[in-house]
Amino acid sequence: MLTKKRGYFFALDAVLALFVLIIGVFLVASSYIEVPQSAQVSLLSDDLMNFLSETKIKNLNNAFAGIGGTLWLNGTITDADNSLLQQIGEFYAAKNFDTAATFVQNVSENIIPKQFLYEVWVNNTIIYPKEPSAEHNRSKNSTALLLTSKKIAFGLINKTTSNVWGPYKSEVFVWER
Amino acid sequence: MGKISSNRKGIFFTFIAITIISIFILVSTPQSDISLQKDTKAVSARINSIDSYIDDLQSRYFETVLRATTYKTLLSLVFYMNATTSYLTDLDSNFQEVAINGTINKVQIDSITNKKIMENNTLINWSNKIVQTAQDTLNVNTTITINNVSVFQTKPWNVDASLSIDISVKSNVAEWHKKNVTITTTMSIEGLHDPYYLVNTNGDYTNQIKRSSVEFNKWNITFVREHLRNGTYVHWENSEAPNFLMRFTNTITNSSCCGIESLVDPNKISSPDRIESYVDYLFWSHTFQNQCTKLYNITKPPSNPGLWDEFRYFKLDTERVIIYNITSQDTVRTC
Repeated sequence: MLTKKRGYFFALDAVLALFVLIIGVFLVASSYIEVPQSAQVSLLSDDLMNFLSETKIKNLNNAFAGIGGTLWLNGTITDADNSLLQQIGEFYAAKNFDTAATFVQNVSENIIPKQFLYEVWVNNTIIYPKEPSAEHNRSKNSTALLLTSKKIAFGLINKTTSNVWGPYKSEVFVWER
Repeated sequence: MGKISSNRKGIFFTFIAITIISIFILVSTPQSDISLQKDTKAVSARINSIDSYIDDLQSRYFETVLRATTYKTLLSLVFYMNATTSYLTDLDSNFQEVAINGTINKVQIDSITNKKIMENNTLINWSNKIVQTAQDTLNVNTTITINNVSVFQTKPWNVDASLSIDISVKSNVAEWHKKNVTITTTMSIEGLHDPYYLVNTNGDYTNQIKRSSVEFNKWNITFVREHLRNGTYVHWENSEAPNFLMRFTNTITNSSCCGIESLVDPNKISSPDRIESYVDYLFWSHTFQNQCTKLYNITKPPSNPGLWDEFRYFKLDTERVIIYNITSQDTVRTC
């Protein structure tokens, strides 16, 4: 009778140890909860860069930057086949920095969730935001994860005279507030 | 004996427990697997990014650069011909040298034309720029070798250019080698000066290429007047005229696909009264020189001035009188 009880004791001991280890492994594994977040930031920076480099002006439905919008009507944008990134590069080449910043703000609205901040740079010059706030800079400097996507931008300023601008290094930085 | 047996059973249970726990730990430990996956993803992302760069390089960057360089090279060659008042001897060779190096017969073409057109705009310059930018942006080492660049026409109002290059890209994860990548582009010739006019008049008479909007079966004396006034060009089907590129080398033979012609304004040349057909290539190649029986004055004095009120001495050969649909009311034989 006594020997049978000892057997149950060992079995119970093993089961308890198993529970302790399961909880331990669960706690260790829970530290990986952060991983999906980094992937999301990475996707956001790539998404924003792909959106800028693959969307053409003619395919953009935007009252400020699309065909028939403010910049189109006042002649600031003339080539509907330009991608958004090319248009930003063209503004940079023409030293039209204010329009470039407003353009980026307009086209990227609702692309990046509110809890994230981002910057667009062309040729090592910050395009958006044109003048980052102190809070913006503090957030960027203190973030644990700052991700970037890069592309090379180039294009024609004037199709008739065939003046090429670029090639410029274009970068997008995204991080969580 | 009974006690020893129960102790052994305890050890047996302990071993079972340790074995189960070991299996559980082995199964649930993700460390090595995740690390490998992470590396694979990083390498894959980098390869995709460089793939995209190479694709951009050959399908967009060099296409853009080739179009710009072709335009600037042709413009430089026109100015060169204006400065030297001579035709080119070999357009292919001259075009290639100017487009790649910015030189003609090993002399900087900008120094001859006194215009900064090719400065920082040669194919070598643009190759160096993308190599540097790719190094800064993607940390890749790009080598571009330009094999050949040529220019030709398949349509009357456009020039086609073809570029052959070798591309080699080295990164920390992989290498790409592409041989004899061919890039082609097309650009309009409208707006460029016709070198044939410049050389024949020592630069006194310049005419920019501008396509006439008159349809082939709608010509009449009124449209011919506009045609002359605006210096526009026309392409006839199975044309006997030379194309735009042939005008660089004074190759006055027919280009059935791409021949274009304009009419010479007698007011813009010295000695306006000549026994010639005033169609540009016929005029300066003297095809009808002194063959007044084959020519018509485009005027019918005394009642009808034709075009002579504005373009005195303007004459055309019989074939042109017909295709421009000028009637006998406005023409009289030159002799």
